[in-house]
Amino acid sequence: MPADLLPATQYDPAHRGGTLRLAADGPGGTIDPAINYQSEFAQLFTVTYDGLTTFRKARGRASDEAIADLAEALPEPLDGGLTYVFHLRRGIRFSDGREVRVADVVASMRRLFIVHSPTSGSFFGSIVGADACLRDSSHCTLPGVIGDEAAGTITFHLTHPDADFFDKLAFPHASILPADTPLHDLGNDAPPTTGPYRFVSYNPNSQLVMERNPFFHVWNAEAQPDGYADRIVYTFGVPDEAQVTAVENGQYDWGFDNIPLDRLGELGDRFTAQTHIEGLYAIYYITMNTRLAPFDNVLVRRAINYAVNRHAISILYGGTAISQPLCDMTPPGIAGHVGTCPYTKGADLDHPAPAWAAPDMERAKQLVEQSGTRGQHITLIISNRAAEQAMGAYLQSMLTELGYKTSLKAITNDIQFNYIQNTNNRVQIALTDWYADYAKPSDFIYDLFSCTSFHPGSDASINITGLCDPGIEALMDRAGVVSVTDRARGAQLWADAGRAIQALAPTAPLIQIDRVNVVSKRLGNFFTTDLYHLLFSQVWVR
Amino acid sequence: MAGAFLRRLGQTVFVLFGISVLVFAVFFATPGADPSARIAGRGASPETLAAVRHEYGFDRSMPVQYAMLMKKLFITRDLASFVDRGERVIPEVLHAAPVTMSLVGGAAVIWVFASVLMGTLAAATRGSLLDRVLMIAGLIGISLPVFWLGEVVNLFTQSRLHHSWAFSWVPGLGYVPFSTSPIGWFKALVLPWCTLAVLFVGIYGRVLRADLVATMQEDFIRTARAKGLSPARVLLRHGLRTSMVTFVSLFGLDFAQLVGGGALLTEVVFGLQGVGRLTYQALANLDLPLVMATVMYSAVFVVLANALVDILYAVLDPRVRDGR
Repeated sequence: MPADLLPATQYDPAHRGGTLRLAADGPGGTIDPAINYQSEFAQLFTVTYDGLTTFRKARGRASDEAIADLAEALPEPLDGGLTYVFHLRRGIRFSDGREVRVADVVASMRRLFIVHSPTSGSFFGSIVGADACLRDSSHCTLPGVIGDEAAGTITFHLTHPDADFFDKLAFPHASILPADTPLHDLGNDAPPTTGPYRFVSYNPNSQLVMERNPFFHVWNAEAQPDGYADRIVYTFGVPDEAQVTAVENGQYDWGFDNIPLDRLGELGDRFTAQTHIEGLYAIYYITMNTRLAPFDNVLVRRAINYAVNRHAISILYGGTAISQPLCDMTPPGIAGHVGTCPYTKGADLDHPAPAWAAPDMERAKQLVEQSGTRGQHITLIISNRAAEQAMGAYLQSMLTELGYKTSLKAITNDIQFNYIQNTNNRVQIALTDWYADYAKPSDFIYDLFSCTSFHPGSDASINITGLCDPGIEALMDRAGVVSVTDRARGAQLWADAGRAIQALAPTAPLIQIDRVNVVSKRLGNFFTTDLYHLLFSQVWVR
Repeated sequence: MAGAFLRRLGQTVFVLFGISVLVFAVFFATPGADPSARIAGRGASPETLAAVRHEYGFDRSMPVQYAMLMKKLFITRDLASFVDRGERVIPEVLHAAPVTMSLVGGAAVIWVFASVLMGTLAAATRGSLLDRVLMIAGLIGISLPVFWLGEVVNLFTQSRLHHSWAFSWVPGLGYVPFSTSPIGWFKALVLPWCTLAVLFVGIYGRVLRADLVATMQEDFIRTARAKGLSPARVLLRHGLRTSMVTFVSLFGLDFAQLVGGGALLTEVVFGLQGVGRLTYQALANLDLPLVMATVMYSAVFVVLANALVDILYAVLDPRVRDGR
């Protein structure tokens, strides 16, 4: 690590002070940490709120791990992973001066069900009593979370073991808020915080301002280090092109939106020192509806996997420096990554290659011929962003070459993701992406391929392929249980599940992507974590 | 008078009702427009989705949903965005209005002065080289799409020539309230003003020239000349004033639609958080309450401007005033 890049644990007071100026095109929505599910604000919540656990504030892979935050330590699983007893750290105060108490933790967990937090079912549905809360939030008591104020403990009882429970508690939705926080979406009024910053004002149409939390002290620099800038001002309504120019001119320190492809060359040439590439747990993939022709035929799905030129997709995303071909749905770096490539030239399921090399159009055409589906009509659904439109045009030509009559339908980015999930829209094939909530295989393959994620006729049916294979389901369930006590064995089982999914080919993984950041000349100690990108508390402007 | 007022009011209500029904129907006819899943968040469980659907009333019939929306917009005035949950749309539009007003007001001053000057000069020197040059310049102005022109202005003033003496004063994109810094307000808006005005200078200059040329052939002009008035006085007092009728009616409608959100492209390109940008944002993420609020706001301005233009006709043209 270069000498001018400090870990969060080594705080250099010489750089303390100043205002960090951020810009984004649109605002991130509600400021309620239990409800907001946008990465734009998750990035803010990570320096303002704390859960019982948090992802380590460190660079790179070290940031993937959930560690204790408001809890004294990570508890050992009891009753075979059905019970966890957390000890609350004493002496931590909210930004309004009140001490964080056990009652706040219990109330925060209950509140996330009452306000219909997006992940209340998917992340926290395993807590005893969660099902009743999900059915009728107005009478939610959540008996599975028990607080003991005198002992300073919070006990969680689960209905089934969950190897990722600490990761889920580290997610901003499980932030600890004061017990008297209103039981509805707070909209623009942020609740008191526990981290180094507090929200001073928020107007989604103009600006968000954060200042130091006067009651903050460092209890664990890996969990929540002190911030450098005194003030953080986030301006909304700055288009992506303008963000790049303004950062180059030193008017802002960093922009949230992805850098337009046509600006990458200029950054590489003239602003090299200010440009940083950051690895992401994010992928692009083609999803195929296993319940609709022609993709109800596994041969067709394999043909698509052989035919697609992942190198071309990588170029269309912005180049091989910021994206890499991908062969399985769990990206490298995450336990359970299969690491082999059955659908590339010179390989097959029984003899997979170590990496993707080139498309195999001949074999793809043979498979289409074998399937008897040649000549059928296919509609490919993409979102209307520039990179996707370019990828869509390429995929259309590829499908046409395979012998299908292909049409391309671009839908506005905000609704495409939900549109392709609903079986009523009869989507055959679509191009989409997936960003990790936490760095575990379940967040990729369980969420995307489990029978429990498939809900016909609903816009929220994240298993878009409709795959529901009892063998794979059993394997994933077993991997989940084993991982509670044996991570390594669990990872092997997740990889087995990944291989089984590869064989059925409900999707064609395309590329893993990186993010390009450009920062102002004055911004120092560039610091990103894998899940929450630029860590605003650790970069300095002095 | 009261009858005319009531008639105008009735028309306004009818127009607003029609537009609101249209916006509502188009929204729900759009495939994938159901906002429940987007509100509930990625991977929401069926129970969460059902709870959101119920909370927002998406499980009710369409007429009931329409009535609820209108009630929240016009009666309780607490209609909240589907995307920025908790953000009430009426204060949001009102907060954006001064930005748009500043942009459109400044641009209007520029385009009125420039086009009157251009039209009058061209008419006065009809057939000369100056006339041709001005008219070609006007045509070029009309042909330049505002979003392209805005991006080119940004390219030079924010990027390529930003560090030169000519443009080093140009602030970053965005709006500075007049109350915060009058100079900052001016600096932030002067380039957007000019960009927005270019198209209108072209149109209005050409329209005014054509009208002036026609008016100068009228009998009353001949009479004025016969009275021995100076050519300048005939042109400005008699010719220009009568020719302003078309100019004013055009201005009323253009100004109103721009204030109502029509300056959308200029606002987006220059990062000004006005009503147009709000409309753009609402359309991009299919935020029905915000679309509805901005469309209603815009419709009210257009209807009001029509009424104002009618009154101004009477002031400018004695034939209208006297009912002839």
